[in-house]
Amino acid sequence: MKQNISTGRRQRYFAKTQVLKIALSFLILLGILVLSSVVARGPAMAADTMINCDAHKGVCSQSSGALTVSLEITPRPVKAMQDLVFKVSITGASPAEPPHIDLGMPAMKMGPNQVALKPTGPGTYEGTGVVVRCPSGKRTWFANVIVPGSGEVKFIFDVIY
Amino acid sequence: MGFGHCIGMCGPIVVSLSLNLKDKNFLIPHLLYSAGRVVTYSILGGVMGVTGSFTLVASHIAGIQKGAMILAGILIIIMGLAMSGWISFGKVFGDSYNPGSFVSKGFQRLSRAKSPAAYFPIGLLLGLLPCGPVYTALLAAAGAGMKAAGPLEAIIKGMGVMLCFGLGTVPALFLVAKLADMGWLKKRELIYRIGAILMVAVGIYFIIKGIRY
Repeated sequence: MKQNISTGRRQRYFAKTQVLKIALSFLILLGILVLSSVVARGPAMAADTMINCDAHKGVCSQSSGALTVSLEITPRPVKAMQDLVFKVSITGASPAEPPHIDLGMPAMKMGPNQVALKPTGPGTYEGTGVVVRCPSGKRTWFANVIVPGSGEVKFIFDVIY
Repeated sequence: MGFGHCIGMCGPIVVSLSLNLKDKNFLIPHLLYSAGRVVTYSILGGVMGVTGSFTLVASHIAGIQKGAMILAGILIIIMGLAMSGWISFGKVFGDSYNPGSFVSKGFQRLSRAKSPAAYFPIGLLLGLLPCGPVYTALLAAAGAGMKAAGPLEAIIKGMGVMLCFGLGTVPALFLVAKLADMGWLKKRELIYRIGAILMVAVGIYFIIKGIRY
């Protein structure tokens, strides 16, 4: 009799433990899927509302302190996965070294994608680069123009896939 | 950088593969899966390096990548269905099901991809999945190839860039594989069934993404 009670308790304990383990493993699986989508997106930003440049229309200008940077991307409309020419003109600063552009997505970490710029005239620079396609379907990209010793200016724009 | 993105994009696939292994050791299959991916990345890097043009190669492989995404979705769904035990192959193929036919044998092999060796070709295939950081790394491979003195050096440099990139993705996916490894659970049937539902959902997501890509 005592042995039966003990066996019953053990079975109930075992069943409870299994339920807990199953619930825990389900939470782990769900956690991985949810966390993965959050982690991949990087810092939360309302990407769509931050667009400050309509790159499809022409030249965009942004200022940061005394520094004013104009950016033109060709050919237009600006499409992902094609060779693009980035033309930059700078006023309010005379950098000792040519500036460069960091391309990325505000909503997704895409890896270092840098466009080296070469001088084409006084305060004007040019370089080629590619905006890659994100399988998530997000289309908002940024071009961060970094002017050594003078600061940086960020252009946020949409591309066409 | 790639840690979060790898978990986000390839995490569901790795979870599916881990669940499909059930109580088998996850280490060798996942090593082979990663090795397959790294080989594909390296080959793509070599091609990028020798051509020196990302856009040229990318435009040629776009169709293959779309196909790989759809195929990955189908693979995950089949693995999920087979793992759940809810649907037999007779039901999947209807009255025309012939256990000896080439197609059903192929699907059975895919669904029973529990032999560690099967994970290498799966990795080779899934290395073709379209992915932003992979594209960015391929851009770097093309750039490295452009700076090379000759075609051989360009191939080596391109492959080297992608080899390093691929190896960099392994720890993140291994971590996910380890977390999804349910070997410690004694009664796993329920979690496998829940996992099967997740796998089918992920598979459908991949197919839709692949069609719309």
